Amino acid sequence: MLSVRFRKRDSHPEAALARLLTAAEAAADPLARLIGFAGRADEVASGRDATGRLVVLAGLGAQAEASSVRAAAGRAAGLVLGEKRLVVQGGGLAAELAAEIAVGASLRAWRFDRLKTRPDPDGPPPRLKRLKVLTEAKRDAGAVWETLSAGVAGALFARDLVAEPSNRLTPTVFAARLRGLAEDGIEVEIRDRDWLARRGFGALLGVGRGSANPPCLAVLRWKGAIDRAPIALVGKGVTFDTGGVYLKPADKMWEMRADMAGAAACAGAMLALARRRSPCPAVAVLGLVENMIGAEAQRPSDVVRAVDGTTIEVIDTDAEGRLVLADCLAWTRIAHAPVAMIDVATLTGAIVVALGPHRAGLFATDAALAAHVAAAGEAVGEPVWPMPLDEAYGEALKSDIADIRNCVAARLQPDACHAAAFLKRFAGDTPFVHLDIAGVDLRAEDSDLGPAGATGFGARLLDRLVALRFEDQDG
Amino acid sequence: MLEVSFAKPALPDSGALALLVGEDEPPSGLRAAADDATGGAISRALAAAQFKAKKNETVTILAPGAGLSRVVVVGVGKRAEAAGRAIEEAAGTAAASLAQEPSAVLDPGPVAPTLAAEAALGAVLRSWRFDRYRTRDKPEDKPKLARLTLSHDEPAKARSAWGPMKAVAEGVFFTREVVTEPPNVLTPAAFAERCQGLARLGLEVEVMGPKELKKLGFGAFLGVAQGSANEPRLVVLQWRGASGGESKAPKGKSKAKPDAGKPLAFIGKGITFDTGGVSLKPAQGMEDMKWDMAGAGAVAGLMAALAGRKAKVDAVGLLGLAENMPSGTAQRPGDVVTTASGQTVEVLNTDAEGRLVLADVLWYCQDRFDPRVMIDLATLTGAIVISLGHEHAGLFANDEELAQKLIAAGQATGELLWRMPLGEAYDKMLKSDIADMKNIGGRPGGSITAAQFLQRFVNGKAWAHLDIAGTAWATKDKPCVPKGATAFGVRLLDRLVADHYEGG
Repeated sequence: MLSVRFRKRDSHPEAALARLLTAAEAAADPLARLIGFAGRADEVASGRDATGRLVVLAGLGAQAEASSVRAAAGRAAGLVLGEKRLVVQGGGLAAELAAEIAVGASLRAWRFDRLKTRPDPDGPPPRLKRLKVLTEAKRDAGAVWETLSAGVAGALFARDLVAEPSNRLTPTVFAARLRGLAEDGIEVEIRDRDWLARRGFGALLGVGRGSANPPCLAVLRWKGAIDRAPIALVGKGVTFDTGGVYLKPADKMWEMRADMAGAAACAGAMLALARRRSPCPAVAVLGLVENMIGAEAQRPSDVVRAVDGTTIEVIDTDAEGRLVLADCLAWTRIAHAPVAMIDVATLTGAIVVALGPHRAGLFATDAALAAHVAAAGEAVGEPVWPMPLDEAYGEALKSDIADIRNCVAARLQPDACHAAAFLKRFAGDTPFVHLDIAGVDLRAEDSDLGPAGATGFGARLLDRLVALRFEDQDG
Repeated sequence: MLEVSFAKPALPDSGALALLVGEDEPPSGLRAAADDATGGAISRALAAAQFKAKKNETVTILAPGAGLSRVVVVGVGKRAEAAGRAIEEAAGTAAASLAQEPSAVLDPGPVAPTLAAEAALGAVLRSWRFDRYRTRDKPEDKPKLARLTLSHDEPAKARSAWGPMKAVAEGVFFTREVVTEPPNVLTPAAFAERCQGLARLGLEVEVMGPKELKKLGFGAFLGVAQGSANEPRLVVLQWRGASGGESKAPKGKSKAKPDAGKPLAFIGKGITFDTGGVSLKPAQGMEDMKWDMAGAGAVAGLMAALAGRKAKVDAVGLLGLAENMPSGTAQRPGDVVTTASGQTVEVLNTDAEGRLVLADVLWYCQDRFDPRVMIDLATLTGAIVISLGHEHAGLFANDEELAQKLIAAGQATGELLWRMPLGEAYDKMLKSDIADMKNIGGRPGGSITAAQFLQRFVNGKAWAHLDIAGTAWATKDKPCVPKGATAFGVRLLDRLVADHYEGG
């Protein structure tokens, strides 16, 4: 993560300098006018000025607001990744917005290069390490950044996990990485296969049967300060998903290394809560498992028993995420009696068809909770869109021989809606939100807020949701 | 159409009787009379069947006595909550159970006269059949229900409420027929000809062919049609129920409100058969593509409904009718066409043809009519089926108020809509390397990019797009909709007009 300082004066005249301009400011700025820079919300320009200094102009569009400042700062940082230090002119911005400069630049400057053993011959090595934000409100901006940086740290923690290839991040390794969260005051428990078998996690264990890497359950607890039942975050953590016997097509199967992005986002959110000492008690329950094809693998038509006794007919072994979540949701509800339960999962291809790469699917049993999740997503730039969770979709999941089947095997099915209806059953009466992030866990190209690859989607959203809704003593 | 009449409650001495019953409702009216006349047979049967009167729960009692051949009892749920929908559906469910009876009396229970009419509507909508091409049906296999008498204390009031509803049912049936007709029968020209028949209702009907379309610059529309031996048609239906009655008086002489003189506009995609063109569809399921004109079918049915019930509104319906065939003259993936708006489109997939037709028709519509709102209906994308299934149609809108009105009208008529997003990020997915846009945005967000494409041709007008690919055809019976063509959109939009755009 970038080292961030807020200062009143620029003491690094040799460092790259970025200026963020609205359209109106650009129209009045001599340099911007001279080079034809209009300040549009997707615009960026760079070059050396008369002193030889590298100068970047990034557009804010109509006005400076959290989203446009964050994006412009990220866009500017994206152009100077080869520099050691970036100075951003945040002169006229309020403290809250000046702090967003650090959010955007930090998200954009993240990289995953621990597996690169040779320098890239085609460009300068990525070196950006230090950010200085010039602002009159340096003390206030620094205080806001204290809070926001926790969310950024959570998102980057999630990205680091999602980016890891599956041979380096088995369920056991994932769990070991989570143990490191204890340093931040999070209580970490890892439950192994025997424990899961004794408790009756039949659906999760069925998914893991085909793999030589045993599954486990990670339970992360943040005590908080409020004496109340926790909010529960439940994450799908399939460290690799071949589809099982219902094998996926080879094309793009490598993307399935990211099929644990939901669990990573939940872990990242817990880190954020701990870093900013949130008063809200929280628990995260992460089902970590690998879905492989093998002699022991489960078959289409197997019937498994979930932790709450529900029998499930496994029509499609590639609809495995909902099986993992079924056990996790039911157990969390029973063992932790949370005030609300939110799961995050790269669950269905159907949500990608529905909403594409720009929004996650939001399914909810509680309208107020859904509205807060949507507001939190807008605030941090992780947008969601409400999708239906009607009884009509649940009716399609009737099984001939079990309580429920895991999907409908036919073409052109609204599988994201079916999956949500399936999960709802295991959430019981607990206020419940399901975020299907299958379209937004990876980005295909570099963007303002990060390079191509893992996005960490969900970590900052959940952190903000807790701040918006769950930190009142009486709430 | 099932023949409907209204009469004061009187127990029939023969034939069938249907009773709509609320939860925990004590017997009264015809239910009590029939129970008395049959020595308690109805009560005994309901008790034996553990009848709770839940919505659409049905008990059929055969030959209970008193000359009755059959008594059908259908639940409406809690009576206090039983709005029009529940009554309608229960009556539709009853009609299905009465199919073997030539005539029946239906008692909707203690309801207002309009709800008795709604019951008639439900029964009529469910009883629709399409058997033009069945030449060897045995008489015993055919449904017999021909006459239904609605029992109500105020039959005159119920009858007058039924008048406009009957017109809507006729509109629905027009739509179901054209959607069900096979594509060798319903070519664009044949569809246009059927629309000309609607002139009898007072609609002004205009039909344009390839020559006129060329003159209007409909390059995208004509590109879709050029592979077929069946010529395309643009049908314009006009109803002047507010400004000029049935005459052809010029509209909007005195404009009290800025929008008062402007018509509502409805635009329908009418691909009478969609092979996909050179980007040929897989054979499996291709027969479904005969109903790729269901949007245009719904617009025609809606206009018939508005005219039939003499709605106090000015409305125009535009139908873009073409057949998408692969042939030596067909357009190719990679072709670039120029639309009526002047914008160019790179056609990367000839099977994304609906939006090409709509692009020209939407532009023409706003240019010629300057409408208050534009609403298009189209079986546009497979992606909407994967998004929402058959439970909801996709609603895309650039106008918040219009979207809310549409959602409410959908809930009132059981034609449910689910709002889907639009946005700059999706619009960018249409960027073309050599033209103003390409006609596909890829599989992710496929329904959204299709809507973004359409939005480029509405010129900022208040607009909504209904993607009805998942709801135009049903594979299962519903209480008021037999399986097959649903006419989705006709009742919804008629309701929208009635609730918000008449007499104002």
